[in-house]
Amino acid sequence: MAEPLRLKAKSASPGIASGPAFLAGEPKAPSAAERPDAAPASRAVGGYGALEKAIDISIGELEHLADGADAESRDIIDFQIEVLRDPTIAEATGARIEADGNVVFAWVATLDAYIGELEAADEEQMRARAVDILDIKNRVLGALAGTPIADFPPGSVFVGKDMEPSRFLAHDWSKGGGIALFAGSTAGHVALLARAKSVPMVVGAGRFSAADGDPVSVDGNAGAVILQAGSMLIAPLTPAQAPAADTQTAGGELRTADGVPILLSININDAAEIDALDPATAGVGLMRSEFSITSVADAANEERQLAIYRRVLEQAGDRPVTIRMLDIGGDKPLAGLEDLPALSGSGLRGIRLLLARPEIARIQARALLRAAVLGRLSVMLPMVTFPDEIDRMRDIFREEAEKLGRRALPHRMPPIGMMVEVPSAALMLDTFGAAAFFSFGTNDLTQYLAASARDDIDADAGKAAPAVLRLLAQAVKLTSGKPVSICGDMAGNPHYLPRLLAAGFRHFSVAPARRPAIRSAIIGLNADGTRAAGE
Amino acid sequence: MTNGLRRKKQEPEPLPEPFKVNCQTEVEVKHGVGLHARPSVTFTRLAKSFPCSIEIAVNGSDVWLNGKSIIKIMGARIRKGSILRIRADGILAEEAIRALKELIERNFDEEKKHGRTA
Repeated sequence: MAEPLRLKAKSASPGIASGPAFLAGEPKAPSAAERPDAAPASRAVGGYGALEKAIDISIGELEHLADGADAESRDIIDFQIEVLRDPTIAEATGARIEADGNVVFAWVATLDAYIGELEAADEEQMRARAVDILDIKNRVLGALAGTPIADFPPGSVFVGKDMEPSRFLAHDWSKGGGIALFAGSTAGHVALLARAKSVPMVVGAGRFSAADGDPVSVDGNAGAVILQAGSMLIAPLTPAQAPAADTQTAGGELRTADGVPILLSININDAAEIDALDPATAGVGLMRSEFSITSVADAANEERQLAIYRRVLEQAGDRPVTIRMLDIGGDKPLAGLEDLPALSGSGLRGIRLLLARPEIARIQARALLRAAVLGRLSVMLPMVTFPDEIDRMRDIFREEAEKLGRRALPHRMPPIGMMVEVPSAALMLDTFGAAAFFSFGTNDLTQYLAASARDDIDADAGKAAPAVLRLLAQAVKLTSGKPVSICGDMAGNPHYLPRLLAAGFRHFSVAPARRPAIRSAIIGLNADGTRAAGE
Repeated sequence: MTNGLRRKKQEPEPLPEPFKVNCQTEVEVKHGVGLHARPSVTFTRLAKSFPCSIEIAVNGSDVWLNGKSIIKIMGARIRKGSILRIRADGILAEEAIRALKELIERNFDEEKKHGRTA
């Protein structure tokens, strides 16, 4: 039998996993952004089709529900089906698609218009119908989002050129498995997700050949892929799933060696990760909402977003939760967003994209305003560059709060802070009076400071670190006493901890898997970053 | 089943002469059914079972509304005492008018609705 073949790769997430290989096909249809020649009309037609299909699916579901329903429920269902088949609604939606190109927002805008009309009606019976229409609006959005992502068998090792975050998120990693990418980046979003979930992952293995089902091992500690040519599986290793148990969980209190209190929060990427919030955690310092809201249909679905945020806030109890608004655009696409002609290739991302497409921001703002009554929620704005961006987003929150008030829906205005991840903002923090708090995102800060593509960062991160640390130390001095935290990857690296403490940081938010290491590092350091005596 | 999203406001197919029918009727809504969803569902479902176009106007209004649209029917605020004009254009227009008028005179089948099978 041939010797196992050991391929050198770059570690993106520690741990060792073995399993049958799942060979991901090359990306099939190129996205619209990569097909500048594709006529917008042809895309829009595809969009019509998707909506018609989603409506048909919804009608089917409702007809199924109607079977065996009592007479009163059947009346409501009949009414909903009739609205789904309403030619006026079809026409209005069609006109909006023609004008704007996005099916999801055309659907939402049309239905919202009718919901608004019904809610404003004098007759109670009419007003009561609004909720039935809201319900079918969301049912169709659910059907639109429901296009299943091609999953792979649990326990497999994913082998491919790259991996989509949505695919990672849709997969069940509880049965083990790992990721081996020919290309990819340790700073990519999937690497970030893999580290957070403790899924062993390597990148940059180069193209290698393996057959579907071949036994493959991923060594995320040493950075290697091990291929077994024969049929025998490499000695099965326990999947490195749960992060090492934290022995120092007594109370949420954490202090440096010289007694200065430190907050240690976790970063989460979807609502399920909130389960990692144990008693030693100060709260959720960063929830990246774009990883739970992975399609435009979800971004348009206020109720679905509210359900996600509710789960997080309820689990967090009285601990604070900071949810970052959708950080999409650029290298973080949102499935379906490429239908918006104005956005393709524009380079808009973060808050700039949210302000350019306020219908996305308004829906998320409503969901966040409603979620704020359920716990200690703060909202963080991504990629803020100029102070007026915060003012404009605050206006959106105020307007949506007023609308919720008119509809008598419970809501609360959360504190609105900003990510500090654009160098120009970091240099001018004293001009961001409208921000309630600051949280430093070191990944993007490094990328923009070093003028490197996100994929190249791993080559430059170490070299760029002194510049990033100097900028952080200067920026902290400009925050005029407002709450400050750091939630980028740098916060999860014990190596940088002394200098971050010396710069004045007292609140760190890290991936759950990094928390024990950072916690023990903090205990061994003084607040000025020097090593405690006896360490 | 298609929802007609793809259909723009296209002109109806030209019809052979004998089928071209355009007729209209007027009926008073005697019972206070009006607003709620159930009679509107009954009305639009019956309207949609005919291939012709069907429009309604309420209380002398000049605004003709698509009689196959539940949103429009509900929005028309048809109440007890309302005078409803119905017009139909195309194949089976006469039958359509007759059937819809009878439905209104039968009070939208309200009392029968729950007794019958689908």
